[in-house]
Amino acid sequence: MSRVDPTLLHELKEYGAVGIEKCFNCGNCTAICPLASDEYPFPRSVIRRAQIGDKERMKSQLDPWLCYYCGDCSATCPKGAEPGETMMASRRWLTGQYDWTGLARKFYTSLAWELGSIILVGLLVVWIIAMFHGPLVTERVELNTFAPLHIVHLADWVMAGALVFFIATNVLRMYWLTMRRDGQKIPFKFYVTEAWQLVLHALTQKRWATCAADEKDEKTRNAKRTARTIHLLLVSGYGLMLVLIIFFLSWFQTDNIYPLWHPQRWLGYYATVVLLLGAGWALWGRVKKEVEMHRFSHPSDWIFPILLLVVTLTGILQHAFRYWDMPLATYYTYVVHLAFTAPMLILEVPFGKWAHLYYRPLAVYFQAVKEKAKAEQQVPEGALAAAD
Amino acid sequence: MPEKLKIGVYTCYCGGNISHTVKCEQVAKVMESQPDVVISRTNMSLCSDAGQSQIEQDIKELGVNRVVIGACAPSLHEQTFRGTVMRAGLNPFLYHHIGLREQDSWVHTCDCDGATCKAMHLMAAGIAKARHLQPLEPIRLEAEKQALVIGGGVAGLRAALDIARQGLRVVLIEKSPFIGGRMAQLEAVFPTGEKARDLLCDLVKKVAGHPNIKLYTQAEVTGVTGYVGNYGVRILQHSRGVSAEDAQALMTACKKEVPDEFNYGLSQRKVIYQPFEGCYPQLPAVDWENYQGEPISLNGGQPIVLEDAPQTFDVSVGAIVVATGFDPYEPRQGEYSYGELKEVVTLPQLIRHLALMKSGEALTWNGHPVRDVALIHCVGSREIEGVDEPHEDGQVNNYCSRVCCTASLHMAVELHEKFPALNIYELYQDIRTYGRGHEDYYRGALDGGVRFVRYSGEERPQVTPAPTGDTHPVLLRVKDSLTYNEELEIPVDLVVLAVGMVPRQIDDLVNMLKVSRGTDRFLLEVHPKLRPVETAVNGVILAGTAQGPMNIQESLSAASAAAAKVLTLLGRGKVELPPFVAAVDAEKCNGTGACVEACQYDGAIALQTFTENGKEIKRAVVTPANCVGCGACVAACPNRAIDVQGWTLSQYEAMVDAIGMNIVDLVEA
Repeated sequence: MSRVDPTLLHELKEYGAVGIEKCFNCGNCTAICPLASDEYPFPRSVIRRAQIGDKERMKSQLDPWLCYYCGDCSATCPKGAEPGETMMASRRWLTGQYDWTGLARKFYTSLAWELGSIILVGLLVVWIIAMFHGPLVTERVELNTFAPLHIVHLADWVMAGALVFFIATNVLRMYWLTMRRDGQKIPFKFYVTEAWQLVLHALTQKRWATCAADEKDEKTRNAKRTARTIHLLLVSGYGLMLVLIIFFLSWFQTDNIYPLWHPQRWLGYYATVVLLLGAGWALWGRVKKEVEMHRFSHPSDWIFPILLLVVTLTGILQHAFRYWDMPLATYYTYVVHLAFTAPMLILEVPFGKWAHLYYRPLAVYFQAVKEKAKAEQQVPEGALAAAD
Repeated sequence: MPEKLKIGVYTCYCGGNISHTVKCEQVAKVMESQPDVVISRTNMSLCSDAGQSQIEQDIKELGVNRVVIGACAPSLHEQTFRGTVMRAGLNPFLYHHIGLREQDSWVHTCDCDGATCKAMHLMAAGIAKARHLQPLEPIRLEAEKQALVIGGGVAGLRAALDIARQGLRVVLIEKSPFIGGRMAQLEAVFPTGEKARDLLCDLVKKVAGHPNIKLYTQAEVTGVTGYVGNYGVRILQHSRGVSAEDAQALMTACKKEVPDEFNYGLSQRKVIYQPFEGCYPQLPAVDWENYQGEPISLNGGQPIVLEDAPQTFDVSVGAIVVATGFDPYEPRQGEYSYGELKEVVTLPQLIRHLALMKSGEALTWNGHPVRDVALIHCVGSREIEGVDEPHEDGQVNNYCSRVCCTASLHMAVELHEKFPALNIYELYQDIRTYGRGHEDYYRGALDGGVRFVRYSGEERPQVTPAPTGDTHPVLLRVKDSLTYNEELEIPVDLVVLAVGMVPRQIDDLVNMLKVSRGTDRFLLEVHPKLRPVETAVNGVILAGTAQGPMNIQESLSAASAAAAKVLTLLGRGKVELPPFVAAVDAEKCNGTGACVEACQYDGAIALQTFTENGKEIKRAVVTPANCVGCGACVAACPNRAIDVQGWTLSQYEAMVDAIGMNIVDLVEA
């Protein structure tokens, strides 16, 4: 039995939900959704839990993460209850629930907290560099003298360590809430045998393709495909950058100038281009509000792509200044670049919008594990007879 | 010399309904050879203009003087063809109708030959009867151009006013001391949001000021005699108990208080009282049931004891409009914890509670702030036999009360507007907001954040007290089909039962008027579609919720319809009744009185003493207006002295002979 809690609806509204109360449970949203199933009848299931304030089930469900916001549900809804945006708000709310520090809840529900934290971390980075930077060589660009590689690398690793810690603990909470509380017994072996799903979906968002598969309208189908393609490129871009910075910083942050055909250059350029494309597309889309997934924008929906855009642009500038041999300009842009990069990674990945990068594939993975376990528990027909 | 019989026989195809099973042409051919038949025709659709013209033409040109029609059921088109026959100049009762469709083709679709034989028998019987048909005249009675309206609620007021405006006199009686009925207890009413008492006041003013309406409050019917056009009604009226001069002083001096039924017991009132400001009549009245002779001291003077001096008087009316209204369903002790938990109230109570609150006051109940409120639909309505406990009469209220859905949603919207922080739940089975503008309340409630929970009549919600330490005093448990049939627990401060409508306790009146009730115990109309406000008793008309659950709008429509029926009935000062009543053959009657004993209808037949050739003899005399033509007297009479006109014994015998004929004889006749 679930106890009704009317506060959840108001809570979700703080996370950007609109129109949940208008829903009269017709189920058109679930009927039109290409990803919904009998086991996971979202978005209606999620909206209904929100309406009656069933916090326990709301927390333990994977449903919001299984949606890629194609927006068919919102377009079909006869009541303007915006089921797509409810799913989005639920993802934000869940991010807040998984996060034990409480920071995610603060960031999602208070713009002051989010902006303040970004500025604070940015200023901290500026202060640290101001305190510990090396000599400013002005004759030529010597970035590694200004910011010695081994120190930056160390800082990278410290930051990566912190990220891993927060992500891992939050993921553990997600696991606890979604996999352990409903009493379903799940043999460990399935976590191993299904692990490939985690990797596959993290890298490809394979299920997103389903959203466009049955779309009859060519324009909408193309828009859906474009969204996924650009998102894939974006993922490849920041994935590449992450690998370069964490593992190949010495190769990447260098005062050497490589020839254009060298991977150091074209890999960097590739990443830059797709990051610009991805962030720019998201922001432009939110300004135009033409497709369903961009009609509503929570502050967090703006801040993340803006940060990404600024980080990319400052990266480009800094790169350009080095090539134009402008030492001071290079050093200063570098500082600005780091002052945006650090909060983007530290705040957005474990506590903000970027957290969907691991929650979403994890949810698909958990869903697969659950289904395997369930299939095993259901005694196949004839098995009992065979046992006799 | 009696005129020669010329029978016209018509077998209708009914567009195939009959002809697909019955071989109509064969039937018509056989009928042609029956004695006295001058023409036998078939027709694709006899009720069409062409079909009717054919009959008229035959009457005029062939001299047909008896018409036999085999077609649909007589309830459908008997009247149509009576008109046809009459237009051609024939007495309308020289026509007989046979229900070939309902009685034959529709029930024997698999047996064409059998159905055809049956049709021949039926038609032959009809022809046999037609040979014995005699011209009849409808019974015409003088009618009193005055109507009685029972009930001073909104329906009674509307009906009275509509009748009075057409120049007929109206006697309007109301059992309670004040008129306005249930509507006076409402505040803003859907779908316009106007104030109920303002609307009512308008109507009351017009009724009060109308010269044709005589209003009696504290009055009830104690006896009814007579028949349509000439009812004699005995009315008992209690005295007001106070006069305009001493009313205020007596009200102030009176100390005894009783729960105020106007506020459904939420407040107290004195036994000399006015229910609300602006009531009509304005003069306070003594509640005789609760005032039991307690002396009242006026300004320290001698204590006075007030006394009721009921008066009885008779009125003559041509028709009676029953507008006795409804009662809100009173839940049983313990039903949804009603009567056990203070936090469980009915919707009418909540309406009064809100009305009694000061504006701007926070919503409280029982001294506690109300943060969460649940409204449960269908309380005392749509009950299921075998699931819900039967009521005192062994029945369940299986009907839908129709107004409660919109009333609940209206309340939810009003609560949301007045108290935006309030969490509101609607526990419903189906949302039946059927009227124009009603759905807006559903939309408004949804948009206002009212939460809807859908239960099934098989498993009604449970209301239980919350365990100590809970945040709320009451817990609702309900299986919600919108949440995949999961059981929900809803903590609330107040549970509101949207109670349905039940008929009022009017057993005495029902017995006096001899009107029938439906299985839902509301008064029953003759036909839900064709005669929706008339009862089976001629001249007794229904108005408003005495007939079944209705909202104000519908009550008023019904009341105006009732008024229209009264006006058509009495407007000409004469009433016409069908002639199918008992008739006594004075030659044969020797006054045994068996018929009077057999008769179940008051005043339909009686023995009268006549002086004939100096001898006093008794003979039965029929009062046609009171006779329903049931035939009980015909069967009882040892001398065959009584017949029901239009259905005489000789007619029956002829029909039976024809039915009993061998089909071969019939065909070869």
